[in-house]
Amino acid sequence: MTVTRPDRRAVVTGIGVVAPNGIGADDFWKATREGSSVLGPVTREGCAHLPLRIAGEVRGFDAEETIEGRYLVQTDRFTHYAMAAADLALADARFDADAAAPYGVGVVTAAGSGGGEFGQRELQQLWSQGPHFVGPYQSIAWFYAASTGQISIRGGFKGPCAVVASDEAGGLDALAHAVRTIRRGTDTVVVGAAEAPLAPYSMVCQLGYGELSLSEDPDRAYLPFSADACGFVPAEGGAMFVLEDETSARRRGARIRAELAGHAATFTGASRWAESRHGLARAIRGALEEARCAPDEIDVVFADALGVPEADRAEALAIADALGGHAARVPVTAPKAGTGRSYCGAPLLDTAAAVLAMEQGLVPPTPNVTDVQYGLDLVTGFARTAELRTALVLSRGLMGSNAALVLRRAES
Amino acid sequence: MNQHLTHSELAGLIKTRAGITVAPEALQSPTATFEEFGVDSLGLLGIVGELENRYGRKIAAGAEMSKSPDEFLDAVNAAITAGA
Repeated sequence: MTVTRPDRRAVVTGIGVVAPNGIGADDFWKATREGSSVLGPVTREGCAHLPLRIAGEVRGFDAEETIEGRYLVQTDRFTHYAMAAADLALADARFDADAAAPYGVGVVTAAGSGGGEFGQRELQQLWSQGPHFVGPYQSIAWFYAASTGQISIRGGFKGPCAVVASDEAGGLDALAHAVRTIRRGTDTVVVGAAEAPLAPYSMVCQLGYGELSLSEDPDRAYLPFSADACGFVPAEGGAMFVLEDETSARRRGARIRAELAGHAATFTGASRWAESRHGLARAIRGALEEARCAPDEIDVVFADALGVPEADRAEALAIADALGGHAARVPVTAPKAGTGRSYCGAPLLDTAAAVLAMEQGLVPPTPNVTDVQYGLDLVTGFARTAELRTALVLSRGLMGSNAALVLRRAES
Repeated sequence: MNQHLTHSELAGLIKTRAGITVAPEALQSPTATFEEFGVDSLGLLGIVGELENRYGRKIAAGAEMSKSPDEFLDAVNAAITAGA
């Protein structure tokens, strides 16, 4: 049986972002800090006739320039993003994968839908030409675990590997799983999620979600916490991190960006948003407890911000339930209003933004939103300067998962 | 049509199906192995599938487990030239 060592602290040493508003943590942060929205019409082939018009597409990503051919032919776009984000995170951490013990590095990703675009192409081959025309990589490319497996193979990372498939909030659960992996003795985990839900089959699957925004106006399509909230806008992309045992990170002289201090997750049922209030509040309390953090120590909240009135109200009430009087004072933000929600990737982009916000002492704004409901101090318009030592990241999934993550700024 | 798969054609199939660039001359080396080029059994399985569709013939199971290009070409050519 594996011995768990709760004294081992898990710290972020590298951030890799592939997002609609920027590739690489620097570009992502500049766009996030400015609060500009990059939501726009869906331009992908075969999507023009669908009623989902507005999304957050990753632009300027050249898979062939970034990923070797042998990995490209056997992977979907969601894995291309994850591999590229992992490369960026490892470079950011100045992590020498060749020098690391091969069994000392694990990989954890979260996935919401897998490789829909690849799967569609192969299934079209199946019904148009027959089973002999389906390639063998269909067996692995669509699969939820594909990104974990390919990052592991490509990097030679033979430590504990996992995929978390627990809905959108699973993005935070993947981080928590990576923390547990470190407490069980692995020194380094490459962890995160990226999604690619903007292809015909994948988009048709989403049309069944009542929470989806079918607005055709990119400036009005996703307005969380506002009176005009009309649903959420989907997006692609995500973020990967290098997470390390703090002692090992210090030993190799790594720059420590933040500590993952606490996490908890609950489940309250699909689209039962009023009930998500209690589930999310309980997740926040659990994360605070694990982090040994008092409610008034939270300096900023990165909200789930679904953009559905009932869900937004429930989230505001959950923050009030868990943080008490501090809820009315703590700055809350939802940068995803300007990029869309990349499902499991969304809370990881928020985690990246939270780490960068703490480093810069700047709360990025919520794009497009001007009127704020539910008594929240939602940061809109421009970034706000603040001393940020502790951040709370919230996430909920359409299938009923709720999760909260407490991050602490690195001690200088 | 030439009913015989060459090293050069195999190199082309490895590129399109397995995403790996290999020089045809490298495949001709008597000591060449797929492992050294990074071509695994899933990659070979895709090539087998394409050849079966192209020639309309069944290639005996196990060709995708070939260790060397020559072994693979022998298995493929035995199938596609049989009865030709």
